[in-house]
Amino acid sequence: MQLHLEGTNSIASPREKVYSLLTDPGFISKSLPDAEEVRVLDATSLEARMKLRIAVVSTALKMKMTIEKTAPPSKATLLAEGAGSGSGLKIRSAFELSGDATTSIAWAADAEITGVMAGIGSTLLRGFAAKKVAEIFSDITRAIEEASR
Amino acid sequence: MGCGLSELVLEALFQSSVDEVSRLAGLTAEELAILEDADGAANELVVSEFEKYVERKYNPEIHRVLKRRNLMGVPIGTKYGGRGARQLVEALFMERMGQTGMGVITFADVHQCLGSLAIQDWGNEEQKARYLPDAAKGETIFAYGLTEPEAGSDPGSLKSSYVRDGNGFRITGSKYLISNGSISTRMIVFARPTAGGNPTAFILDTKGKGFSVDMRLEEKIGLFTSDTSMVSFEDAYVPKEDVLGQEGKGLSVAYSALLNGRIGIGSGCVGVMEDCLNQVRERATTRLQHGKEIARHQLIQKHVAFIESSLEACRWLIYRAAMKKDDYERDLRDLRLRTDADRLSAVAKYMSSRCAFESADRAVQCFGGFGYSIMSPVAKHFLDSRVARIYEGTDEIMELKIASTVLGKEFEAYR
Repeated sequence: MQLHLEGTNSIASPREKVYSLLTDPGFISKSLPDAEEVRVLDATSLEARMKLRIAVVSTALKMKMTIEKTAPPSKATLLAEGAGSGSGLKIRSAFELSGDATTSIAWAADAEITGVMAGIGSTLLRGFAAKKVAEIFSDITRAIEEASR
Repeated sequence: MGCGLSELVLEALFQSSVDEVSRLAGLTAEELAILEDADGAANELVVSEFEKYVERKYNPEIHRVLKRRNLMGVPIGTKYGGRGARQLVEALFMERMGQTGMGVITFADVHQCLGSLAIQDWGNEEQKARYLPDAAKGETIFAYGLTEPEAGSDPGSLKSSYVRDGNGFRITGSKYLISNGSISTRMIVFARPTAGGNPTAFILDTKGKGFSVDMRLEEKIGLFTSDTSMVSFEDAYVPKEDVLGQEGKGLSVAYSALLNGRIGIGSGCVGVMEDCLNQVRERATTRLQHGKEIARHQLIQKHVAFIESSLEACRWLIYRAAMKKDDYERDLRDLRLRTDADRLSAVAKYMSSRCAFESADRAVQCFGGFGYSIMSPVAKHFLDSRVARIYEGTDEIMELKIASTVLGKEFEAYR
């Protein structure tokens, strides 16, 4: 099953700083909610065991994430792929930054879900994904703004 | 009268309903705004409804979201702070809510169709001014206290009783399987005089002395996100200003409220079928078995055809019943219109509830083993839609009612 999400967010921090943190596996490894056993592999990739919780059910996924700096300090892509507990997840996301002292992020993500998790259906998964994305952006924004002070 | 249709982006099946109704009956800008709010509310409730369903708990977000989106008083007149929707638009609103599940429908139907509309239709001006604005704002939640442990399909045999006490009445008794029972602030309660006589309808304050919630009924086989309770009255006082309609004419209030409620429930069932169709289409076109999508297997296509055909047929039964009710509202002296509205609402509720349950059953089948899990999006519809064949008029009572409209009152079999 395919899901597409997109949106814009704003971070009170200069663009170069935001770009450098968003493309740093070390920073991302500390900002992922529900992540256990995170391991930075090299300058562009990391591995993590993610516990995705939908209602009372937890699904444990072993994920690998790879960052590509397609056009610094504006554009980058993140590919996340993994499986576990009878489900598979592949997410290709891209973001574009604009602005100077305050950075605007325009992002889009395409997810492919297979296995048991796909059975929940896109209506519900989209709702959960939107909630999770909002949570991630809230955590990342706070972390970047603190790092910029 | 269609206005700004191309600007609305609603859930696809609901969009087609709105477009069709607009072409047939016209929808004003305010009516389209109500439906857009309904679409937004349904989207907002998807996650919490699922989470609470899996936990088997009442979902308080239903009240919060409907209140925030100004959807607690859809059919209440604008004079009282409501959205002033005619029955047809109320039906469309309930249809979209139904896609999120019967838990949402039950809350909205009881509060709006059984509670608020009972006051709007039967209350005097003072009662309407006192109760409807808070009901429309969502500051009050209504429940409907008719059913008792020994009075279900036969409300005339209810045992709750009242005595006069100064400038009011004291009610004693129990009510069972009361939706919104433990979360309500006001309840329409039916009781008969202790000395004998026909029931009277009262507007009771559930925060007053003498009212208690005996238990929340959590052992239901479905409808987990809806509050269902057993409540009791022990000399619960109601001032004479809170008699609804005339003393001794409570059953007239009850039956007319049920006419509204049946269209609401039936509309919700149409929404259930819409969601079942959406879920089955997605599942069947993505799941591969025997080297192909299961949508290519003819026996799956048989289920899809059934759900789609049921949906189309029931939609129009509901809209017709709603339009007949709207016709009656324009001329309350025409009792033929009332009889027609009553008959059509029974037919619509009877067919929609049965088709929703059958559709949900087929949807579970299309999902296979995963369909038998409460985590699947269709299992909830299967468990919940079953109650639609029981509450607000069982299948059997609807059949008897419908038959008597064909055969004549002298053939009524349930009196």
